[in-house]
Amino acid sequence: MLKDITLGQYYTADSAIHRLDPRVKLVATLFFIIAIFVANDPIGFAFITVCLAAVIIMSKVPVSYMVRGLRSIIILLLICGLFNIFLTPGDPIVKWGRVQITMQGVRAAVLMLVRMIYLIIGTSIMTLTTTPNQLTDGLETGLRWLNYIHVPVHEIAMMMSIALRFIPILSDETDKIMKAQMARGAEFDGKGIVKKAKAMVPLLVPLFVSAFRRANDLALAMEARCYHGGEGRTSMKPLHYLKRDVLAYLFIFAFLAAVIVLHILF
Amino acid sequence: MESIIKTRDLVYEYYRRDEDGNVTSIDTAVDNVNLDVEPGQFISILGHNGSGKSTLAKHINALLVPTEGTVFVDGKDTSLPENELPVREEAGMVFQNPDNQIIASVVEEDVGFGPENIGVPTDEIWARVERALKGVGMWEYRKNSPNRLSGGQKQRVAIAGVMAMEPKCIVLDEPTAMLDPDGRAEVIATARELNKKKGVTIILITHYMEEVVFSDRVFVMDHGKIVMNGTPREIFSQVDTLHSYHLTVPQVTELAHELKKAGLPIPEGVLTRDELFDILTANDIMSKDALAVSVRLKEKPQRSVDDAVLILDHVAVTYKDGGTETPALKDVSLQIYKGDFIGIIGHTGSGKSTMIQTLNGLIQPTEGHIYFEGKDIGDDDFDKKHLRTQVGMVFQYPEHQLFETTVVEDVKFGPRNEGLDDKECELRAFEALKRVHFPDDAYEASPFELSGGQKRRAAIAGVIAMRPRVIILDEPTAGLDPAGRDEILGLIKEMHDHSGETVILVSHSMEDVAEYVDRIVVVDKGTIAYDDTPREVFTHVKELEAMGLAVPSVTYLLHDLHNAGYPVDDHATTVEEAEKEILRCSRT
Repeated sequence: MLKDITLGQYYTADSAIHRLDPRVKLVATLFFIIAIFVANDPIGFAFITVCLAAVIIMSKVPVSYMVRGLRSIIILLLICGLFNIFLTPGDPIVKWGRVQITMQGVRAAVLMLVRMIYLIIGTSIMTLTTTPNQLTDGLETGLRWLNYIHVPVHEIAMMMSIALRFIPILSDETDKIMKAQMARGAEFDGKGIVKKAKAMVPLLVPLFVSAFRRANDLALAMEARCYHGGEGRTSMKPLHYLKRDVLAYLFIFAFLAAVIVLHILF
Repeated sequence: MESIIKTRDLVYEYYRRDEDGNVTSIDTAVDNVNLDVEPGQFISILGHNGSGKSTLAKHINALLVPTEGTVFVDGKDTSLPENELPVREEAGMVFQNPDNQIIASVVEEDVGFGPENIGVPTDEIWARVERALKGVGMWEYRKNSPNRLSGGQKQRVAIAGVMAMEPKCIVLDEPTAMLDPDGRAEVIATARELNKKKGVTIILITHYMEEVVFSDRVFVMDHGKIVMNGTPREIFSQVDTLHSYHLTVPQVTELAHELKKAGLPIPEGVLTRDELFDILTANDIMSKDALAVSVRLKEKPQRSVDDAVLILDHVAVTYKDGGTETPALKDVSLQIYKGDFIGIIGHTGSGKSTMIQTLNGLIQPTEGHIYFEGKDIGDDDFDKKHLRTQVGMVFQYPEHQLFETTVVEDVKFGPRNEGLDDKECELRAFEALKRVHFPDDAYEASPFELSGGQKRRAAIAGVIAMRPRVIILDEPTAGLDPAGRDEILGLIKEMHDHSGETVILVSHSMEDVAEYVDRIVVVDKGTIAYDDTPREVFTHVKELEAMGLAVPSVTYLLHDLHNAGYPVDDHATTVEEAEKEILRCSRT
């Protein structure tokens, strides 16, 4: 059953991290990314690792969930690592003819691997502890200032939340249409790109038609319920910063400052 | 009293334009309508598809503004731009498709959507959401995802979403057309309760006659005009006039009408089963002395397994979703013979859809075997693609699978997948379209330009073009109006009677099924509960009710009469049979 697919992969739990305001988590993720690119020595990374571990423990999300995101990019990581090891010029450690491994190469590869892995883990902490809805709300309120440069923040957030609502419905529908066309002898497991693409037409055309029909219905239903854009709208679940959010902000700033100081000192 | 909704000489025209924007034709969807609704009334508007009833409904919510004439909602002229939002706040609207009107991914947030739009303060939104959800009995589901709810529950959420805006009036535009009988009853009960307890004016647009019996006033529309207007009793007294507008009456009303025609002293416009029961018993119309019929059980034809086209042999299907296993079918055995006309009935989620999808190999059984013409379809060397052409399956809302540029091309899709040459495909397509009585001049039209009924015919043709030996139709009448329903069912009967094809009709409408099929299979909780003739199956009134299925209302009536001591045969399942039985036991 495809009914419960959601974007991201929220892990239901009640932890300090789960309860934080989504805006705090967005800023924290941004700062964390900056930090891992600022740090470039073992001491800096040791500090980041300790902080990351603390957050993981606080979030009550099993580590296996964090690592899950890495599986899909493992090949990419390996290729990047190998390129770095073999193609970085510098002082060779091992040399076979024209192929050489340099000190700098190993260092660059390790640095890159650690950064990529931390990047994935860091962002998955956010998606694992924040529901897509909270994320949308967070983006809408947190980025409201973009309105001044005419970015339609409310509209983008509304589109995102509608997309979240309709992804399971459309995936269900895809399943139904596929079965209906299979009942008319269509085959979706054909070989070759051309054949595969051709087989998609009887699936994609009805799916698009249906998506447009739904969009039309939904627009009408929204209008009937007085929707007229973001102007003059109130919020049922407005975001308010609490004490813990302020505290979290302090920690995040302190964290980034510490990483920068370590970078300058060593 | 001041009318809450008042239309004066309302006209609405749809303009069709060509690519350059020139008007090619004008359709008058609403033609000179004068409507007055008093506050607190429960109003129904009846009409076949295309009669203009939905267009009229959209005027009440200011989604459309009149081409000519005026519409006043609580004294506000809807054509003035400044009245648009106040009018929508006062006259809420619930639409047909439950999925396409829920905006948020959590029930409570969806109900809060309307109040958010009109700028209600946060605390007040929560209070309103609570009141609205409690009002429709969905408070326990406030944290749920709408995708987890049944159709009826989704519609109740939609009603709550409108109620949270605290409207004086709610327009329900065919809110039950896509629901099963349980969901339909749920939604209508909710609307009636809001009307009674909270005094909300309700305008119900529908083509299910049973739903309007309780309304204060009924309007009948045809060709954009209001052609009838009166209490349900007044309207349903004119059975023949209603038929001329392509509408039916409730089964009981039809029966009373026929009995009156046959000479019994019965008034016109009988609305409920209990009413007819009282009339028949109180006025001494019927006699208890008539001879009881010995129940003539038709000898079941002895059929051997050799005649079976499809055999389900101890089939079980279990869905796996992550770690949890949900059994959909448990140990089902069934034989389907050549020329059978079977109705498969079951509650939503009973396993009937799973069962039919195992028949053409779309779903693999977890256990057991399925045989088509004696061969096990689970065998590795069995040609699944060939099976699918031989066991044709028309899914629910089959028009949603149309994709080609012309109708003929779309119908050719099946035969072409079989690998037939173009000439043969064309021949099959024309033959199939002829069999579904598809209008000749629309063969080359785009399937997306057709009317709802025509689309469905084209889609059915797409399956029969493969010349299947067994045709399975899943809810072929879903979403159609009474005329469209009768046409499609007539067509299916024709397919069965004329060419002797094996037809399997899946439905939750007992009344439809009883009239057409010769064998009913009742599926409940993944097992077959009954497998017999309609007459036999419908004697299990209590058991069927426990499964969430209702027997035809005339069967209920005869059952009641039988229990009251009248010697009627309570096996009757259609109006005709019931009429015969009651006349047999009448004193005249």
